[in-house]
Amino acid sequence: MTERRIYLDHSATTPVDPRVAEAMARAVVQVFGNPSSVHGYGQQARAAVDRARREVAALIDARPNEIVFTSGGTEANNLAIRGACEASVAHGQHIITSAIEHPSVRGVCAALEQRGWEVTRLPVYENGIVRVEDVREAIRPDTVLVSVMLANNEIGTMQPVAEIGAIVRELRAAKQRHLFLHTDAVQAAGRMTLNVEELGCDLLTMSAHKLYAPKGIGALYVRRGVKLTGQNIGGHQERERRAGTENVPGILAFGEAARLAGEELNERTTHDSLLRERFEQKVTDLIPDIVLNGDRRQRLPHLSNISFRYIEGEGLLINLDLQGVAVSTGSACSSGTLEPSPVIRALGVSDEVARGSIRFSFGKENNESEVDYVVEVLVQAVERLRALSPLNRPLVVS
Amino acid sequence: MSYSAAFKDHLANPRNVGELPEASVVVEENNPVCGDRLRLSLIVRAETIEAARYLAYGCPPTLVSGSVLTELIVGTTIEAAKKLTRNDLLNAIGGLPSRKHHAATLAIEALKKALP
Repeated sequence: MTERRIYLDHSATTPVDPRVAEAMARAVVQVFGNPSSVHGYGQQARAAVDRARREVAALIDARPNEIVFTSGGTEANNLAIRGACEASVAHGQHIITSAIEHPSVRGVCAALEQRGWEVTRLPVYENGIVRVEDVREAIRPDTVLVSVMLANNEIGTMQPVAEIGAIVRELRAAKQRHLFLHTDAVQAAGRMTLNVEELGCDLLTMSAHKLYAPKGIGALYVRRGVKLTGQNIGGHQERERRAGTENVPGILAFGEAARLAGEELNERTTHDSLLRERFEQKVTDLIPDIVLNGDRRQRLPHLSNISFRYIEGEGLLINLDLQGVAVSTGSACSSGTLEPSPVIRALGVSDEVARGSIRFSFGKENNESEVDYVVEVLVQAVERLRALSPLNRPLVVS
Repeated sequence: MSYSAAFKDHLANPRNVGELPEASVVVEENNPVCGDRLRLSLIVRAETIEAARYLAYGCPPTLVSGSVLTELIVGTTIEAAKKLTRNDLLNAIGGLPSRKHHAATLAIEALKKALP
């Protein structure tokens, strides 16, 4: 129907940067040794993996030996939460998390609940942010882990992780408590300056495909001294934390992507936030009856989540897709469930507002002309769907 | 998501959208589980559906079911319209995934409610 294709779903995944693809292709062909092998091939692979580990560590200002490579964000979240809880069971069986976590965190917490753990899920308020005082109140003598994401994947709101980290550290120091803080930084890593000391977290999850690297590779930061029960049993890789021969090409791609993200961070952030600002300004000017979801200031620079009243998100998504524009929705239909997004619902909005939510997430290859085109087709699609909607028209039954 | 070409066409260019000021009958059906809603307005003269308009809120299959339904019933007799089944509608749409069949059900329910 149209030639133009515009990708505005960078929170789902990003296109692979050609420089990253090149690094990966080189690795596939030239660095085939097993990093655990003693011979030269193995040592060449080990050295390359170590370089990549330094780049990934630098992204969050951690030490390289605190980085554990995994198959992605979901595995890192599983390892962090299950691993920390299983290693801490003698100290208590209570976890604190938030109502807006990624399914991989939500799911692991629910699975632990089935095994007798208690889980406190902190609310967010209409701004989509957890309150620090709620965290403080929720901590009990038997709490062993707090897991609160750094930035939400649907609405982009930044959570007060550094403040939570300060509470956790303070309690740990004062009462010799066994209490750790995990944060899922999949959306934030590579999109803002991060420092694990300032965040005060003990475990932090990252995923490479959100920063212009391929899928299948992620990492968990594990602060020195934090005990984890490994979830993959086998060899001694990743300092006993994650058995299995390293995904060398994936790791080298992640390393290159992390290096580029670090180098180009300011440039990318400015670029994305200017596009987002242009987009939101135009949408607000041209489309009535919209709700901008989540806090306006404490949020990721590249993401905009908007509910369009009276219409349902998936209809809008497919209409935009037919015009070559790729976005995502928190509506129930596309997720295959009947309930609309728990994240949008957690903001306290109606089902109708939740069902009409669309996430637009910008990236470094987008430009202003694309934003203008998206706004143009969005205005038309919203008008067309609203013309179809019975919600804003009284029913006069004959 | 692999919708038919007919489906996409109806979604991008819905037919018979709106309401009829001279309607003989206006009904609205909703699915209490997912909140989908379909409003159907008909002009019926001499046992024949002369005109049909619809409004819909909900997932794309619901929007498309309304559009396809109006195309199927305009010009048919009430008797013929009464015999229309969910499968007839699904066939005209070009098929729907089974978990979306409720959208076609909603449209057929609205039609049944509108007919005497």
